[in-house]
Amino acid sequence: MALFKRFESAIDNGIGRRKLGYLLIALVILFFLWFPNDASQSNYAKTVFISGFFYAILSSSWALLAGIAGQFSFGHMAFMGIGAYVAGLIARDGISFALLGISVTPESISALGSIIVGTVFAGLVGLIIGWLLLRLRAAYLALFTIAFSELFRIMMLTEYDYTGGSNGLSLRPLLEIADVNFARQVEYYLMFGLLIVCLLALYWVANSPIGLFLRAMREDEDAASALGVNVVRYKILVFVFTSMIVGFAGAVFYSDVGSERIIPEQLEILQMSLIIAYAVIGGMESLIGAAAGAFISRYLLEAMRQVVITLPFGLTTADGSDAFVWDTGFWRFALFGVVMVFTLRYMRNGLLYPIITWFSGRDIAMKETVAIRESDDEFAARLEQDDE
Amino acid sequence: MSEINLALNKVSKRFGGNQAVDHVSFAVTQPELIGMIGPNGAGKTTLTNLMSGMLKPSSGTIYLNGRRIDGHPAYDVTRAGLGRTFQITRALGRMTVMENMMVPGLAHNPSARRSELEARAHEILSLLTINHLTNELSRALSGGQRKLLELGRLLMLDPSVIILDEPFAGVHPRLQDTITNYIYRVHENGKAIIFISHNMGAVFELSQRLIVLHNGALIADGEPQVVRNDPAVIDAYLGHDEDD
Repeated sequence: MALFKRFESAIDNGIGRRKLGYLLIALVILFFLWFPNDASQSNYAKTVFISGFFYAILSSSWALLAGIAGQFSFGHMAFMGIGAYVAGLIARDGISFALLGISVTPESISALGSIIVGTVFAGLVGLIIGWLLLRLRAAYLALFTIAFSELFRIMMLTEYDYTGGSNGLSLRPLLEIADVNFARQVEYYLMFGLLIVCLLALYWVANSPIGLFLRAMREDEDAASALGVNVVRYKILVFVFTSMIVGFAGAVFYSDVGSERIIPEQLEILQMSLIIAYAVIGGMESLIGAAAGAFISRYLLEAMRQVVITLPFGLTTADGSDAFVWDTGFWRFALFGVVMVFTLRYMRNGLLYPIITWFSGRDIAMKETVAIRESDDEFAARLEQDDE
Repeated sequence: MSEINLALNKVSKRFGGNQAVDHVSFAVTQPELIGMIGPNGAGKTTLTNLMSGMLKPSSGTIYLNGRRIDGHPAYDVTRAGLGRTFQITRALGRMTVMENMMVPGLAHNPSARRSELEARAHEILSLLTINHLTNELSRALSGGQRKLLELGRLLMLDPSVIILDEPFAGVHPRLQDTITNYIYRVHENGKAIIFISHNMGAVFELSQRLIVLHNGALIADGEPQVVRNDPAVIDAYLGHDEDD
């Protein structure tokens, strides 16, 4: 502890916490840029990272919606699915609006074009859902979005002729690169770039006056409204914005960047619960915390697929092996659940919150003011003293 | 001095079979200190909610500075120039004191520079003696400090009419002086203030005009000394001296 205090003091007197934080972020970015160039890394490792980036986008955008704006929605994966399914359907079947005289044929639209249409469609559904949810709060909002999400999943599952049912729907590949290794590298950078862009966009909103109003709404909608905040507008805005982000990410990821097809299984409540769990573990009210929580959790879940324990003292297993191999299957999720329960019980702001707070210097700002809570009597006594 | 013209015309609110507010009419046309009193359940808070846009009237009209505001959302009424506090303080708990001040500042004046709004917030917080708590989360404040923060937020809105719902409730007597000073200073700046209170000492000390509600209806509206002797008010709320 004393050593940490000395380290803390040296940082405060030297480079400063914020600068150190930025330096650390720069190093992390450099690591991710270097990673695919390391010849010893397999395509499988890169695929795990690509999946980690994708879930980091989902989790951080959910953190904006639920952690910052207080809209505890279970519909996030459904919006991701809308983006992906619409992109796939448009690219395969085209679309025609007879009344407007607009007709898009599969031949006339590119993969990127279909992704954009999917994104816009996710935003439109977000607009409708946001509008329907205006008067719903807390548990009612969660129940509504669970129902919406399940309805969408069942629709995708049963409309076999259009969506491919449980076999899923293939989207038009976004990249067409013959060399598998090079393709994986490009896909890696594409998904990493998308994560950076999404995080920048999310931070821009969170740090703007809109972010301030969203947080006010989360704390008390009536009070925010009485302070001049147009709660309806911002509620809809945050739904549309996050729906478009996950719609876009979903459409890109399933355009053969991270996965070659979207399946209804991806829209199950379990998947949504994982997104929430990643955000809770990383820090629901911190966008970078939620993103890091998602990436690290995805990586650990993948790493824990098979646990190998080398037996000591020359012991062997029944089949003569000196190592015990455990295919964890769904047990890894149980361990993950234990971590989440621990987080909710002891560190409600997420496991990464103390680190983020330390680097941001927020704890110093609080120490500089009167951090002790005055009772009304003490406060009144101080006022009297000031008067004298 | 900003324009002041709040006019209620036969405003009513019914919740099922309960007539919470019954054809209330009054107008505020100058920077007055108006006390609003009445027994519990008289309709004071409901009337406040109607004026501030938290509730829609069942019938009647409300105009503020020439604009009809009944049925308009609360944020719109606030921007039109009517600010309010709540009976139970509603500080935005997981936001700092400064952020609490910036919410109305930016909502009211989106094009203003943050530095200017922060300077204004510091000025107001100093007036309210809580400037040293700027970076503190508002949930860490004591009850009295939260009351002051709520009053401070109102000044960021610069409304022409202010409604204070029970500003003295649960507040230390010495802290009441700070709130009383606040009310006088805000009034001197040309604002009309309507305050609801059961603290009769404060009501008669501060009010230039008194409005009395009973069973949702307005039973008296006038100078405090006149209203005090009104038989209807005595029967409904103030009561008779034991000697009488």
